[in-house]
Amino acid sequence: MSGTPVTNAIRRLRFEHGEMTQQALADACGVTRQTIIALEAGRYAPSLELAFRISHAFGVGVEDVFGWEKKR
Amino acid sequence: MVIGRWSWIGLLAVTGLALWLLLGSGRVFGHDIGGLGMTLLVGVAWVSLWAVSRLPAGEFERAVSPGEWKAWIGLGFMLAATAYFLVSLPLMDGSSMAAATAVARNLVLLLVAWTVLSHVVASRWKGQVHEDERDRQIETRAAGWGRGALVIGVIGLAVLLGFSPPDRLQWASHFMIGNLLVFALVCGWLVEYAATAAMYWRDRH
Repeated sequence: MSGTPVTNAIRRLRFEHGEMTQQALADACGVTRQTIIALEAGRYAPSLELAFRISHAFGVGVEDVFGWEKKR
Repeated sequence: MVIGRWSWIGLLAVTGLALWLLLGSGRVFGHDIGGLGMTLLVGVAWVSLWAVSRLPAGEFERAVSPGEWKAWIGLGFMLAATAYFLVSLPLMDGSSMAAATAVARNLVLLLVAWTVLSHVVASRWKGQVHEDERDRQIETRAAGWGRGALVIGVIGLAVLLGFSPPDRLQWASHFMIGNLLVFALVCGWLVEYAATAAMYWRDRH
């Protein structure tokens, strides 16, 4: 589960959205805070559904939150 | 009220006594001391959980998901159950139904206590998400490990029974074989909980 090629900008987006806490984002997406921690650390690749939930929580598109690290 | 360091040491000592009584599986004045050990162990677990529930949530607790807590608690109970089963295996030859019944009763008591305690622990995260897709992914992968261990155990038992000469299978009564199959099941669960806890732990480091 460690070392996913899926990158994300969750941490930056949280701070741009009024320093939203990990718990607040977790509650908005219906996941545990530990899953948000794993996502931010790049240790977990979310399902498509969770990716959409997270992007909706920030009010942006999925491609603005998630990316693909081509080197891997 | 939060219990102090000496109370925790006392609880640890009572846990040691409980495990000693439980794994001893002897009888004193006609009473099964394994049952007393099991009762003590459940009592210690209750007191510990009550004390933990009074503690304010620290950074460590916040870093550990409800699924991981459940996995570690499950691993602890499965270790106790496996050790008890292993120590009690000689009693399962069918010669003393009373002893075998006492062992089975203690194991059932342990499983019931575990179920109840899991619900008590879960109440600590009341109103929060207990499980999500990451937890389910970990559970699915760990279940594969558990299934693998069960298959290996059953195949090992089948090979042992199928290829051993009859004179070396005097111990293999139908009752013993039945208990060995249950033991393989318990080992499968133990591996599943160990894999779950290990995956959560690896995910945090």
